[in-house]
Amino acid sequence: MKAPWLILRKDLLVLRRSPALLAVLIAYPLVIALLIGLTAAYANAKPRVAFVDLDGIPHRLTVAGQSFDIDNLIDDVAKNVEIVRMSKEQADRQLASGRVAAVVTVPQGFVADLRGLVSSPHLTLATGSGGITPRVRQQMQALVYNLNLRLQKAFIEADIKYVDLLRHGGKGRVLGHDFSIIGLDGTKRLLATMPDSPQKRKIDEFVDDARLALALTGNAIRATASPIVLDEEKGRGRTSLLSAQVQAYGLAITITFLGLLLAGGALAAERDENAIGRLVRGLVGLGQLVVAKVALAVTVALCLGLAILVGFGIAVQAGNVEGGEPWQRIPLVLIGVLLAGAAVGAVGALVGTLARESRTASLVGVLVVLPVVFLGLVPKEIVPAAAWISDAFPFVHAVRFFASALYDSSPWKTIARETAWLVGLAAVYGGLARLSVRRLAV
Amino acid sequence: MSSRPLLAARGVTRRFGDHVALQRTDLDVRPGEALALVGPNGAGKSTLLAILAGALEPSEGTVERADGVRSGWMPQRPAHYGRLSPRQNLELFAGLERAGDPAELLARLELPTDDRSSASLSVGNRQRLDLAISLLSDPHVLLLDEPTAALDPRQRRRLWETARGVRDAGGAVVLVTQNLEDLEHVADRVAALLEGNVVFDGAVAEYRTSEAAGALS
Repeated sequence: MKAPWLILRKDLLVLRRSPALLAVLIAYPLVIALLIGLTAAYANAKPRVAFVDLDGIPHRLTVAGQSFDIDNLIDDVAKNVEIVRMSKEQADRQLASGRVAAVVTVPQGFVADLRGLVSSPHLTLATGSGGITPRVRQQMQALVYNLNLRLQKAFIEADIKYVDLLRHGGKGRVLGHDFSIIGLDGTKRLLATMPDSPQKRKIDEFVDDARLALALTGNAIRATASPIVLDEEKGRGRTSLLSAQVQAYGLAITITFLGLLLAGGALAAERDENAIGRLVRGLVGLGQLVVAKVALAVTVALCLGLAILVGFGIAVQAGNVEGGEPWQRIPLVLIGVLLAGAAVGAVGALVGTLARESRTASLVGVLVVLPVVFLGLVPKEIVPAAAWISDAFPFVHAVRFFASALYDSSPWKTIARETAWLVGLAAVYGGLARLSVRRLAV
Repeated sequence: MSSRPLLAARGVTRRFGDHVALQRTDLDVRPGEALALVGPNGAGKSTLLAILAGALEPSEGTVERADGVRSGWMPQRPAHYGRLSPRQNLELFAGLERAGDPAELLARLELPTDDRSSASLSVGNRQRLDLAISLLSDPHVLLLDEPTAALDPRQRRRLWETARGVRDAGGAVVLVTQNLEDLEHVADRVAALLEGNVVFDGAVAEYRTSEAAGALS
């Protein structure tokens, strides 16, 4: 096995003597990984929603005795959408052109219905079709839910004030009419001044029972209004930028790009350099040549993979990120990097033998890598066919291996399955490359 | 001179797709001889040389090699790694050939010893680097494809000396050439090819007066 080692050493020497090429080869996949990350972040950006007010809602609205600053209220509850006020005509035009994802309309009479409490006031939601429509619908439902929650609290507080009036007495206002009542406390005091009688004792008992029951009413109303409360604990999860998934994708994208382009380009370059004729004269077997190029992909993948893992880990440690970096798992991840590098290198070697020229191999490599990576990002639940095609390439198996090796509490089942996939793919693509490599020697 | 050939092409044919580059050919390369392959462009000379070198597989036929015979091949186009320096190229191929330290060859052929990439060398220097690589295994048979095409007169004389040295040591030289000086200084036998067929095979003196020479000139 001396010959493949010498060819590998030669390829590494060629890389070392081509710093610009090496820089591009390293920077390119990292840029692609970053762009994919930004695209994913954009997918989570707030959709723009038009807000059409046909009822002229005042800036400050009093409902159930509580005053609401409408603009602040909307900003506060619309956490996942960007609400933009506009006229109905503008909103319709922007919805048609896709500049807003939805239009929320406040119809005439909305405020009167809200204040009157005779019938539920309605908002109207108009959306486009497909794309992010389901997400916008969910977000608008969440917005209405949040508004209802605020109003509900206001109504409950108003109701509790009435209960307090009944208990302690005082002045109040209902439907525009002011009133003053003595309450149960006042009734109790009044009864104490009256002569004893069976009737007085019955009224006295009723007042005691009513005071006791109404004392519990506040909490009971609040509890029935919100049977289940979701408490949010802030800052317990890891930031998405440093998540296991991002780390796994970054590694897999880098290895896929580098392995495929390097193995394919280096194999085809043997023909470009006219050296293949010398090599096949008994110096290096064609199978050994494929092994050398796969080894090149593995070597570079291991070096760069380790650098990415260490760099990521340092960022996690420096940022004091929740959960920290699982340093003890890095050897396991590197085994995955080795397997993924071999499988990707075998695909690259096949591309190199089919392309026969290093420039064509590089172009074909990029043309192959991008769809493979993007197919691997499509969720199986959305496009099952994409997942089946993706299974035939190493990328998605590398992602699953890395993510599991890094953070799963019991990763062995996933690792065994993905190892089998990567070894199988390396064998299949390596075998095809070995069959096809004769084309280079012609 | 032993009559047993060091290399022998037996019914060798080579096709590239539908094009037949070399028709069924038989050719012996014997110890102590220098054979020149001549003919117009596209006659099949380089194809035959590459097949004799083992760099190209024949479509039909075989090449027989005497036991233990080592051959060195210098193709017409540069066949080394352009990004590596001449020293690095020689060290790599010396490793693959299991040959010794190539420093002596580097000096003998006056190749640049600095770290310049081979691709930046002149055509003549790249040709000498290929010659050096072909000599690494201390070959019994030296196969040269248009070896003097880009060499200056001094380097040409050195190459002829090298070729004669291999021949006189009991080896053999096969060279593809368009240069009559190569015939005069090195060759003692000529095989003329035309459209993939060997149309003449004999001594240089015979070739000069043959119909083939007239047809090919």
